Amino acid sequence: MSVHKYTDKVMDHFRNPRNVGSIENPDGYGKVGNPVCGDLMEIFIKVGKNDKGEDIIDDIKFRTFGCGSAVSTSSMVTEMAKGMTLDEAYNITRSDVADELDGLPPIKMHCSNLAADALKAAINNYREGTKPEVEIVTSCQLEVRVILGVDEFKGKGVYLEIPDLEQLREKRTLIVDTGDNSLELALKLTEYTGRVIVVTSAKEIPGTIEIAKKLKQSDVKILQQSELNEIKGELNEVEKVVIHDFDEDENYELFVDAIIILDYRG
Amino acid sequence: MRVYLDYQAAKPVDPRVFEAMKPYFTKEFGNPSSLHNYGYNATNSLEEARLKIAEFINAPSSDNIIFTSGATESNNLGIIGAAIRNRRKGNHIIISEIEHISILNIGKYLEREGYRVSRVPVDRFGIINLGKLERLISDETILISISTASNEIGSLQPVEEIAELTQKKSIWFHSDAVASESTIPIDVQRVPFDLLTLSSNDIYGPKGVGALYLKKGVRVNPVIIGGGQENGMRSGSENMPGIIGFAKAAEIMKAEINEEAARLKILRDKLIREVLKIPKSYLNGHPEKRTPHNANFRFDYIEGESLLLSLKDEKLEVATGSACSSKTLEPSHTLISCGLLHEEAHGSLLLTLGRFTTEEDINKIIEVLPGIVRKLRILSPLTPSDLLKKLKEEDK
Repeated sequence: MSVHKYTDKVMDHFRNPRNVGSIENPDGYGKVGNPVCGDLMEIFIKVGKNDKGEDIIDDIKFRTFGCGSAVSTSSMVTEMAKGMTLDEAYNITRSDVADELDGLPPIKMHCSNLAADALKAAINNYREGTKPEVEIVTSCQLEVRVILGVDEFKGKGVYLEIPDLEQLREKRTLIVDTGDNSLELALKLTEYTGRVIVVTSAKEIPGTIEIAKKLKQSDVKILQQSELNEIKGELNEVEKVVIHDFDEDENYELFVDAIIILDYRG
Repeated sequence: MRVYLDYQAAKPVDPRVFEAMKPYFTKEFGNPSSLHNYGYNATNSLEEARLKIAEFINAPSSDNIIFTSGATESNNLGIIGAAIRNRRKGNHIIISEIEHISILNIGKYLEREGYRVSRVPVDRFGIINLGKLERLISDETILISISTASNEIGSLQPVEEIAELTQKKSIWFHSDAVASESTIPIDVQRVPFDLLTLSSNDIYGPKGVGALYLKKGVRVNPVIIGGGQENGMRSGSENMPGIIGFAKAAEIMKAEINEEAARLKILRDKLIREVLKIPKSYLNGHPEKRTPHNANFRFDYIEGESLLLSLKDEKLEVATGSACSSKTLEPSHTLISCGLLHEEAHGSLLLTLGRFTTEEDINKIIEVLPGIVRKLRILSPLTPSDLLKKLKEEDK
């Protein structure tokens, strides 16, 4: 669907989104979507009471990574929900949001109209007191599990020891986080190639405080809460890898030229 | 004034081309197949036009040029026509991972028809792996189709080396030249393509017309069957105004291409230099081996369609590799093949310059882009907290 099919109201909320930001110590927090699909929304709520003593949404904020309709629907749902009782807010549907915006292009109805779901997630989080996100072990405690294809591609793009870095000049190189050695290697490798990717099961940027700080400032791409599942290629040469994302519980493929796994015990 | 920076998608017809076409709608309306005077004049004009297209690519003879309805048809005729014609010699075809969608889908079609299709991978700059291409070749290989350049990231492919390889192995080499047609001269005697796809609109001619060049001795089976026009390889009455316009566009392009490419490269280089000053911004494709009019960026933490809409509000018309602006909701296959993650591919911004792009246009985008990127990053949950803090301070 072409972009110019958006209504004036959608464009108004896109241009001037309401309630952007986050709330420190929110009473409820919801996160839906998936940046891999192109949409990710977070909603933060502060809960208060009305004169009847019912729970109401006192304050609400959002942040969104996504297309025009993703931003607009997030903005609209926060505007609608502010001041509502939790029950009322919980009953807001995707089509209510779309209706308030005078409609969305059909192709956008499902892919980027997740705002009502994010609000529900935030209310559930408040009511059930569940942690909105699940902690995952940090990388240092982790052993590398069996990765399909390591034996097949060893020496043909897969390195189990630190290779001559000159060989990796301008190669898309994936490094499995097996501790600080591997992370220091990743930093070093940025002098040789513009594309270094670290796959780590950690939820935050991994490594000691110093390494993590350097990683943040570097162009190393870090795939958090993820693991390397499989290495693939034709004619005995590495072409791509399958990455498993714990957070989204899904697999995706990534084109690479080389893979480094130090301390592989598969 | 709106600034247009999407020349790869569509180009305006050059006013000189439009003038040349006009008589062919009302006065010179003849059909070249007719034997009366109108038909005779049309035949003359058609053959003059064919010669101009041959001259544009330095083909030895106009016999090598077949007019089609555009690049997609030329790709269909070139690849499917060659595949059917050589079916008895072999059933293996090689394309690349980053071909234009028409060629990728032709590949899928031929697979359903029983052909084997290999896709050669590209490096992180979007340039094909030549060694891998050579290793993919088998006794069954009849055709290799690799574009001269990527239409999205501008990466120039090693066509001379590919041609050398295909000549040595007696395999036909087809190339879609559309993405480089307006800025890089084509010389089919220097690079011996067997088949070459050309588009009229990509050199400021009208839409709906293109050509397929065939080297002497190369013939394809037709995909459009009818009255046997175009040497039996492409039936249907010729689109005379379109063909005349295409030929005029080729004539102008041949005369001006070097000067124009040099001018665009200066503007494009300035654009790249300035845009990359934005933190966490990257150039997609190769820093040097790219068409001089192409710039393709990505910005961490933001999505391409939002960027496109925000730029549109500032009267800047651009393109993105984001899924949200495509019909399939899939991100750009080209960027994914270069090794980008989906969320990175979603954040791409494609800027293509052309004949009517001015320095003011470039200054305008350089001026507004940093603010828009900042605004969208403040909005995004992917922006890390320390960067967010800094952006909010800048925004005040």
